[in-house]
Amino acid sequence: MSYLSLASSGAASAAAAAVAAFPGGSCIPGRRQYARLANGLTVCVLENRQAPVVTTALCLRAGTSDDPPGHGGAAHFLEHMMFKGSARFGPGEIDRRTQALGGSNNAFTSHDSTTYYFSFAADRWTEALAIEADRMASLTLDPRQVASERQVIREEIAMYESEPWDALEVAVQARLFRGHAYGRPVLGTRGELRATGREELAAFQRCFYRPDNAVLVVAGEASEETVLGEVERTLGGLPPGAERRAGAAPVPWPGGMVRLRRRKGEVPRLLLALPAPAGDHPDHALLRLLAALLGSGRSSRLYRALVDEGQLCSWVHTDLTESLDAGHLTIAAEVVPGVEPARVEGELLGLLAELVGTRPGLEEVERARQVALADWVLHHERVEQQALSLAVALALFDAEHLDRQMRRLLAASPAALHEAAGRYLRPELGSVLGWSLPRS
Amino acid sequence: MVETADRVTAAGRAGRPGLATRVRRVEGAPVVAVRLWLDAGARVESIPGQGLLTGRMLEEGTRRRDWRRIAADAEGRGMELSSFGAFEGHGVNVDALAPDWELALEWAAELVREPSFPEDRCAWLGKQAAAELEGLADQPDVKSAWGFLEHLYTPHPRCRPVLGDVASLRTVTAADCAGLHRAALAGGLIAAVAGVIDEDAVELRLERLFGDLPPRAEPFPPPVAPAGLPERRHQVKVESEDQVHLYVGHLTVPRRHPDYTALELLAVILGSGAGLTGRIPTRIREREGLAYTAHAQTVAGAGEDPGRLVAYVATAPATASQAEKGVVEEIARLADDGIGDHELEEARSYLLGVEPFRRETARQWAELLLEAEQYGLPLDDPQRRAADLRALDRRTCEAAARRHLRPADLRVTIGLPG
Repeated sequence: MSYLSLASSGAASAAAAAVAAFPGGSCIPGRRQYARLANGLTVCVLENRQAPVVTTALCLRAGTSDDPPGHGGAAHFLEHMMFKGSARFGPGEIDRRTQALGGSNNAFTSHDSTTYYFSFAADRWTEALAIEADRMASLTLDPRQVASERQVIREEIAMYESEPWDALEVAVQARLFRGHAYGRPVLGTRGELRATGREELAAFQRCFYRPDNAVLVVAGEASEETVLGEVERTLGGLPPGAERRAGAAPVPWPGGMVRLRRRKGEVPRLLLALPAPAGDHPDHALLRLLAALLGSGRSSRLYRALVDEGQLCSWVHTDLTESLDAGHLTIAAEVVPGVEPARVEGELLGLLAELVGTRPGLEEVERARQVALADWVLHHERVEQQALSLAVALALFDAEHLDRQMRRLLAASPAALHEAAGRYLRPELGSVLGWSLPRS
Repeated sequence: MVETADRVTAAGRAGRPGLATRVRRVEGAPVVAVRLWLDAGARVESIPGQGLLTGRMLEEGTRRRDWRRIAADAEGRGMELSSFGAFEGHGVNVDALAPDWELALEWAAELVREPSFPEDRCAWLGKQAAAELEGLADQPDVKSAWGFLEHLYTPHPRCRPVLGDVASLRTVTAADCAGLHRAALAGGLIAAVAGVIDEDAVELRLERLFGDLPPRAEPFPPPVAPAGLPERRHQVKVESEDQVHLYVGHLTVPRRHPDYTALELLAVILGSGAGLTGRIPTRIREREGLAYTAHAQTVAGAGEDPGRLVAYVATAPATASQAEKGVVEEIARLADDGIGDHELEEARSYLLGVEPFRRETARQWAELLLEAEQYGLPLDDPQRRAADLRALDRRTCEAAARRHLRPADLRVTIGLPG
């Protein structure tokens, strides 16, 4: 067994031990093989026999960014319709078949991609390929089903609008990415939904749902030979011809700190969104480590200052998106009722300024690295999680993306982090600070 | 003294050794999951929120270390260490890299056996939990769900959130937490450990860390029985944009009930299975397009006390009546008309098929081992589970449906925009 062999600066041993949690020379366990079918479908087989299960994840390079003008939400709408009937599998039949075989399935749409996945016991996983092939080739898009699903998505929109954090997040993201496709809501608006019907959905599928625009990961207890044979047999006959995407579009970031205020609920909620580089940028790993240093674990700066010691917030959380054109780092905090929101804001901005002004110590950086690595290891234990991470990385970036970013994270020095903090953690240079404040 | 219990009730554990262990080697990522559990949570607390704070206080300091040191030491090793208070118990969870298994056990033991319950931390945790409670109350589905629990379980402690309430959280003291923890420890401890480990070595270490625990004392007296609110319909005001949250159901059976597995199977037929399958999601979402979220359970929250039949739908106010009618009719149809052979086989196949996914990781195994020990059920034995599911026939399931799904007793809680 070989392990990802990485040297990090400073106290590397514990970090290396964390990565060694995954055998196979990678931050994802198992043996990986890649192939490309004649029709352009990229296939990755992750042979990992930790449990008698197999996950298939089909990721298409088509998402909200590709929604046609006036038909926002089309990518997401189509994702719903992919479960609503094809030549061999009538409406609801995919779920019934999945259930009868004791499996699970789901799908998700982002601005960059749409991913469909199935998890089955290892002796019956090939049914997933039969379903994917059928709905790629002969999706029905029955107008009655389209109308019914439009209503379902309206309820989904209502659900997001009712949830205070979801509503704040949508508003903040819309402002941060104003003028860029990432600012559009994945679900679309009610008006756009009304304007989107069978024709638009069929056109979207024709353009983007092609094998040369897709990545298929088959992970778990399955051999490369079996997988490739099954994939060729089921998906090898799909015709290529996907529409090519335009290159990355620059984001017109806000010129300073933009403030948003909403009134909802009884608890003040803060969401600060800062511009971040694209997922494959070398700085992305540095920013991931900075996010951990700031907000992962009880020893992190924000958690300690705002929660455990300052006792201003009930919790604080940092997150970093990984996207094609650009990302964003968010800091979210729920304020203890009675605490003045301005005080929390002041503390937060002060802590960011401190990190920009003073280089973090090696011990603190190593702690953040351990937390980030443990988070990765413990959240990639399941075959399904491994398949999904691989599929999205492969569709948006390349086969080495995950390992390369992990190497960068391991190699990051305090000096490099400090420089990155100076580039990205300065809200005054461009950011959106959103507040959801109590109605009372 | 180490024991492995089989089909013992909580009351039947009195006088047995103080430590019960379940240890299992699980291949996969080289990690270890440690779960220490004490049978005292919100179910037996005397002040709402006491069980939650008792659990959370374990990581706030010990005789050896304060909360800062505990957190820094764990995070420095890449460990996820946390203490918790739940409805039936409280305890400590540690997820670590496998080579750190001894440290994980030692630190978990330190938190359980040597907590210092600092008063200042208790005051803050109470305030923090109150803030969490208020934050959760802003979520319309959560607030409606709390209303449903109140509707079904009043005056049983399940009728309120495990977090307690804002006023009571202010009154819980460190001494209250220490008292509950002491009493819980006297009632015994369950240790479940899974991962890439040497099982014998782990057993030995557990014996060294906890073997001196005295025989178990009598458990806490059971709480007052649930009766529910008298009205059939209960309204909760929520801050929602154009959406109603509908909960329909009634109490069913506790975890050890012989009909539990049949009810699990009936839940799949009703709407707890894969994707949007099941009678309720098929009708409410797939056929009538009324909701994005629609699902059903028959033994939700079952433990020492009865679980509940619950169907949940989030829909527009204009379609709430139609959704409610659909849910009630589907429950009645299942109770009155029974199930088809095909439905039975499909649901059975689903439950058999998902088993490997419940046993993939060390953490999943540790949770299963803990639950097995807690309820004295063979939940950690995949063959036994498969045999139980295969033994269910249509007649047995329909009889269980007639006994436990009672359309005339259905209660409806509605979270209405207000």
